[in-house]
Amino acid sequence: MPANPNMKILVVDDMVTMRKIVKNILKQLGFTNIDEAENGQEGLQKLRDGSYNFVVSDWNMPVMTGIDMLRAIRADEKLKSIPVLMVTAEAQQSNLIEAVQAGVSNYIVKPFTAETMQEKIGKIFK
Amino acid sequence: METQGQKLYEELGALARFMDNAMHTISAVTPQIISSSIQLPTAASHLSDVKKMTEDGTLEVMRLTELVQDNHTSMAKELAGVAEVLKAIDCASLEGRLEHVRSILAQDDKHLIEIMTTLSFQDLVAQRVKKLVAILDEVQHKLMELVVVFGLQHNKEQPVTEGHAGDLLKQLEESKTTSMKQQVADDILAQFGFK
Repeated sequence: MPANPNMKILVVDDMVTMRKIVKNILKQLGFTNIDEAENGQEGLQKLRDGSYNFVVSDWNMPVMTGIDMLRAIRADEKLKSIPVLMVTAEAQQSNLIEAVQAGVSNYIVKPFTAETMQEKIGKIFK
Repeated sequence: METQGQKLYEELGALARFMDNAMHTISAVTPQIISSSIQLPTAASHLSDVKKMTEDGTLEVMRLTELVQDNHTSMAKELAGVAEVLKAIDCASLEGRLEHVRSILAQDDKHLIEIMTTLSFQDLVAQRVKKLVAILDEVQHKLMELVVVFGLQHNKEQPVTEGHAGDLLKQLEESKTTSMKQQVADDILAQFGFK
């Protein structure tokens, strides 16, 4: 199933520059329904309040990290099926393994290109 | 018994000499320790300023890039409309040239996205600066512990900003308040007859 351009996407990152970059790329890829959150806790709250179809999240964030948010999503009966793409500077193998074990849908290492994001989204929604 | 007493006496003597040397060494580096413990928070604050400056610059480049992207979208729509008209009047050569313009625009759109993604350097810089500030903070706390534990006293007559690090910090501090804006430079130049 290809990605629906109208699907509701949540971008979670504490850096405003990264949120803008990810949103811009998603917009260029044809996605228009994009919301954002500053950390895992705010992201989780938004996910519980709304009907999101896809999450793009950073790893290192204050209050609640991306990996903790991912675990909380997978532990939540209503949210557990939402695909989560991690976009992070945490490029250690151990981080990737930790993310995979926590149930990440795919993983992008910063800095990245629009092509990489397109490819990962394509793989998640194929 | 006398030999053991002699040995103990020698050991105590060696220990006393070691402690004396240690106290002299600590005394010799006291100004640097105190100076560093005072300078570190300022240095950390300047690092945080660097993070803020890169963030501001990046956001401005993003704003301008998005404006160009929006203009491209409008242009692409206009060109599509013109192409329809040209097609209707069977003007193949102009339609072909228009198509060429549209493909150049599409290429530029890709370049604009590359500019946007390249700006993610700011996030990486910010994360490293944040970690460096945390490290500096910890080092400063350790130095303060040394100052407290050894009761190091600061010589009031000695400025804490002395030395190379002190000079650089002073320059950084001054650049915050005294760096000249172009308008001020122009005003001064105008007073000297530059137009």
